[in-house]
Amino acid sequence: MTDIKQTDMEEITIATDVLVIGGGLAGVRAAAEIADLGYKVTLAEKSAALGGSQQNPGALFGLSAEEQRTVADTIQAVSAHAQVDVLTQTRVAAFAGVSGDFTVTLATAGDVRQQKVGAVVVAADFTLQPLNAAYGLSLSDGVVSQSQLDALLADKAAEARLGGKVVAFLVGFGQEGNPLVMKRVMKSVAALAAIEGCTVYVYVNNIKVAADSLEKLYMEGRSKGAIYFKLTEAPHVSPDGKAITYRDLVVRQDVELNPDLIVVEEALVADAENRQLAELLRIDQDAWNFLQSDNVHRFPIQTNREGVFVVGASRGIQDLPAVWTDAENTAMAVKGFLGNGTKRVPKGKAVVDNGKCTFCLTCYRCCPHGAIYWVAESNKAIISPVACQTCGICASECPMDAIQIGGFSDIELKAEFLGNLAGGAPRIVAFCCQNSAFEAGQMAAQFKMTLPAGLQMVKVPCAGKVDLDYILTALAEGADGVLVLTCHEGNCKSERGNTYASWRVEDAQRMLVEAGYEKDRLRFATLASNMGKEFSTLLLDMEARIKELGLSPLKN
Amino acid sequence: MIVAERKPFQEIKDMLKDAKKVLTVGCGTCVAVCLAGGSKEVGVLNAELKIARKLEGKPIELGAATVERQCDREFLAELDGVIDRYDAVVSMACGVGIQFLAERYPQIPVFPGVNTTFMGANQDVGWYEERCRGCGTCFLGITGGICPVTMCAKGLQNGPCGGTNNGSCEINQDQPCAWQAIYERLAKQGRLASIMAICPPTDWRNQIPRTIVQPGYAKRKQLLAK
Ligand code: SF4
Ligand code: SF4
Ligand code: SF4
Ligand code: SF4
Repeated sequence: MTDIKQTDMEEITIATDVLVIGGGLAGVRAAAEIADLGYKVTLAEKSAALGGSQQNPGALFGLSAEEQRTVADTIQAVSAHAQVDVLTQTRVAAFAGVSGDFTVTLATAGDVRQQKVGAVVVAADFTLQPLNAAYGLSLSDGVVSQSQLDALLADKAAEARLGGKVVAFLVGFGQEGNPLVMKRVMKSVAALAAIEGCTVYVYVNNIKVAADSLEKLYMEGRSKGAIYFKLTEAPHVSPDGKAITYRDLVVRQDVELNPDLIVVEEALVADAENRQLAELLRIDQDAWNFLQSDNVHRFPIQTNREGVFVVGASRGIQDLPAVWTDAENTAMAVKGFLGNGTKRVPKGKAVVDNGKCTFCLTCYRCCPHGAIYWVAESNKAIISPVACQTCGICASECPMDAIQIGGFSDIELKAEFLGNLAGGAPRIVAFCCQNSAFEAGQMAAQFKMTLPAGLQMVKVPCAGKVDLDYILTALAEGADGVLVLTCHEGNCKSERGNTYASWRVEDAQRMLVEAGYEKDRLRFATLASNMGKEFSTLLLDMEARIKELGLSPLKN
Repeated sequence: MIVAERKPFQEIKDMLKDAKKVLTVGCGTCVAVCLAGGSKEVGVLNAELKIARKLEGKPIELGAATVERQCDREFLAELDGVIDRYDAVVSMACGVGIQFLAERYPQIPVFPGVNTTFMGANQDVGWYEERCRGCGTCFLGITGGICPVTMCAKGLQNGPCGGTNNGSCEINQDQPCAWQAIYERLAKQGRLASIMAICPPTDWRNQIPRTIVQPGYAKRKQLLAK
């Protein structure tokens, strides 16, 4: 194992069919683009029709007539495309396998089918959530949500009903808001203001106009007579919705308005089924259930799993042009991943020793990239060289030490950090993630910043590779201090390598205290690759602390 | 699976206070799966012991071995000979493995490295929950697949008791009442009749170690006895 070089390559055949989940705006466009590149696509939509499952996308996205036509054309093209298999009323019932070789079970009313796909594109929709409760209101004849207003306006009889009425909008106090929320408001404001005798007031916090043509839409409403009150805190609204009181900062007094109709803003939230889908596909979510974690290394549309992509609303993208761009980028990314169905991958990235593996599933559960799987015939963990990013988390968590990472095997790493523990100056073993701390350390050395004479940097592929056993063994064998240096939170290329490392350091410190040793001999810190200066400071500080504690009494 | 947890370090250290050469033996099955006694945990315990004993000025020599299952003599045999080089053994297997190991090498003190705690299921990495107490007369067929021996604080076979409290057990608000859960599941399946009959009590008296010989192997056992 240890002599496997990263340059040894092997060729792997993968499936090239693609599954697109969700037939909304993003899904149909992604399916069309991918099919145009020559791949066979299955488009699974949970509702009965394509085009945005839960709401009228035209109204939701504030699409222009031209944009609506483009959407309709795309839906048509996809439905007629020879390379696209459209399945409506279809859900993903089960999902197994690994990047390039997924097995998906699709359930269509009364029918279940299984198929192999190489890549998956998730294109879930938004769900709209009226925020009336944030204003202490219940929806009623006099208090409606933005969606209800949209429906009202779509009805031709609306004009007659709304003429001569006073309509008040409440926006931006129930949520931070965003351009798409504003766009919907402004479109209906302009429509209402155009109705003879209809008076429109908008109580708004921040007016978000940072998107194409929003400024224009805003001016359009104003020029037709709509009045905007930009407030720093929410106006007071009587529970029946009959009176809105706000503090006018110019005249410095409370002003009351009695609207005929109040329109409350709506939040665009992640589809209620995202959580379930994320669990099924084993992809990360953010705090709002959008299907992408907040990680600076995650390019748009990528997930923590190779070959699984997220587009449009499923990752929180709201604007049609941006959704279109997402779909195009995804098609390119799918092509980049699938190619012609053969992939060259390094051999021995991460390998399971079948003799040692007890099939406990720890590695499967810990791998942040969903790279570990098994097949019934073997009943041992298998690591996919296509999906594995060599973070080493699995290797450090495996209770049987059954996993070795190419170029970073236990034997190699131990020989490295145990080989040089004698000597006068405090020996500080610094386990450094190669993506951050290791570069920072090299920078510090290159720029001749002061570093401890006894510093020994140990490069690891990710802090996730720093084993509890490495930390304790280094100290037990006489290292004077041990540092575990990782990327900042939210910055780990493998999502959780730094988190695992921090847990292990905590655990090791607890054990050191149990064993009667100073826990200050072990430290955890996060660094960025350009933080050479901080690296030097951190290490000198550690060295100073070691000098206070004295050299390790554990040296052989 | 059998679930165990590492013993407090102080306790292990105290047991080993007179030992100078110790072999720590992991078990590669249940206790490895529950992250208490596999080869990783053997290494970690040894490192901890090494540090503590050096600091006390009483260095200790430590060996490590992990066998597939300590409850199978064929796997224990790997330690024959090896074990004689040590003056004590720490077994990280469950109580079964520890005893089987101690039985095989009666000349050497064998100490437990873990507390064997229950038979349970894996909820997540490092998180296990008890589900069965090995009563020997499984009731799951009449209780809708929920074990009252384990999940009911009183281990009632005919429940609930008068303390059932809106779904909670009377011992603790956060402890669900097993019999409420049994009732609900059976009601959903239309099988409430199955708990209407009185279930005869398990005879817990005079419990001696149980032996099981699977029917197809009774003859084999007789042969061995000869
Ligand atoms: S963690 Fe180790 S023992 Fe468990 S399944 Fe993975 S390789 Fe096997
Ligand atoms: S090294 Fe990291 S990415 Fe590769 S299989 Fe292990 S945990 Fe997954
Ligand atoms: S000795 Fe105990 S822990 Fe090990 S395999 Fe046997 S029952 Fe499981
Ligand atoms: S009744 Fe409960 S304790 Fe008895 S065998 Fe069944 S699950 Fe185990």
